[in-house]
Amino acid sequence: MTTIFKTMLVTSLRDKITMFYSVIFPIVLLIGLGYYFDNAAYSPRLVTGVIALSSLFWGVSGIAFQVHWQRSRGVYKLLKLTPYPTISFIFLMTAARTLLGILINLLVLAAGVLLFDVMVSFGALLGTIGLMFIGILCFTCLGFLISNFANNEGQINMISNLFFMPMIFGTDTFYSLKNAPEWVSTMGNLFPLGYYVHGLRSVLGITSESPAGSILVLVIYTAVLLMLAALTFKWETNGQLRVKTYKKKQRAVV
Amino acid sequence: MTAILMNAQGLMKQYGSRTVVKGVSLRVYENEILAIIGPNGAGKSTTLEMVLGLKKPDAGEVSYWEKDFRKAVGVQLQATPFFPGLTAFENLQLFAAFYKKKLSKQAGMELLTLCGLHDVMKTEASRLSGGQQKRLAIAVALVHDPKVVFLDEPTAALDPKSRREIHQLIMELHQRGTSVVFTSHDMDEVTKLSHRVMMIDQGTVIAEGSAIELCESHNVQNLEELYLQLTIGGNEQ
Repeated sequence: MTTIFKTMLVTSLRDKITMFYSVIFPIVLLIGLGYYFDNAAYSPRLVTGVIALSSLFWGVSGIAFQVHWQRSRGVYKLLKLTPYPTISFIFLMTAARTLLGILINLLVLAAGVLLFDVMVSFGALLGTIGLMFIGILCFTCLGFLISNFANNEGQINMISNLFFMPMIFGTDTFYSLKNAPEWVSTMGNLFPLGYYVHGLRSVLGITSESPAGSILVLVIYTAVLLMLAALTFKWETNGQLRVKTYKKKQRAVV
Repeated sequence: MTAILMNAQGLMKQYGSRTVVKGVSLRVYENEILAIIGPNGAGKSTTLEMVLGLKKPDAGEVSYWEKDFRKAVGVQLQATPFFPGLTAFENLQLFAAFYKKKLSKQAGMELLTLCGLHDVMKTEASRLSGGQQKRLAIAVALVHDPKVVFLDEPTAALDPKSRREIHQLIMELHQRGTSVVFTSHDMDEVTKLSHRVMMIDQGTVIAEGSAIELCESHNVQNLEELYLQLTIGGNEQ
């Protein structure tokens, strides 16, 4: 078990593209926006927004591409031929990615503390780690679900964007929605990112509201997404789209 | 008498209204090299997948000499399922862990040497050449020291040098007492390596025996001639 867990950490750490989007990109974004706005009241909100974005990319895109890659290369098929339960492998992979995701988010938080004087007490730090755990797990389940529906990398991008767009633009992750039409925030409320951001701001003491409501919603989202991901899980990539096109072409030739 | 390691009887598989495997029976004996040949779409891969438990047969049954056969059977699939970012040795270590086995550096080196990969131990698996990746896939299949190995087209799309290296590896495995079952489209390779040949076409076994026996009984010069004569493609020609 230790070897598998350690190897999953290594394979995720060596995934340069996901690491760029989850570590470099959020930190550069934090530095860029932080110095551009240069507003002490906005900095803590910006830090939580960037942490949420990093969790989203790490959880959804990272796992969706990783699972798709493993599935299309026959990893799950080969795993079925070993005595090791595939579900245990998926659990360890998720655990390794969640642990790394938390560490990456803590790096972003550390950048916020060092560069923008964001205050974090020890209790708030523990609460933040707990919330990061639920948030990344929730996004990881969403990533799994997306990989189950996508037959290739292009479809992963398209389906991910269907979730990313309303989540990023329909929530107050980076900007206030006070002046936005009501349907924008209603749309944003259908997805977990907004609750994650509100939860982070609550545990870090940026807002005075209780994090309980956000945590509850995130737990429900995680449970539902996990169930859907398990129900739709497939061992092999199917080429259904390609087969149908081929048949149509054949008929056309006949 | 040679022990039977695997016995499959009357395997059938249907996809919709199309029956792809029609009552195939197959045995694997201890320390033999068995080649399964046949045209594309003949039912070879489906038969193998049913034998390995990846697909449930609609009829027929498969039995192994050991209850949990997965502990003693190694498989190399056509795809090369390596984990990105991991070296050849790290991939082996990971697959060994799936068999609850801890692979030491020395044991890993020995296995890689057996497969002619001793100089790429620390190379990322995805950076290996096609031939090296195939050999690493075979090394993965051997990581738990199995009694029987199934190799699905181990030499497909490889240059002559890589093909020869895999031939040597199959012979080495036989000398070590491992049974090898492989599929191939290369009739020279099949003649050279196998003790027994099973020819499948349209979901049924159309010929079975040693390459020499088959050629003699059908009065042909070589296995390729027999293949062309017996398979549907050959009849059309």
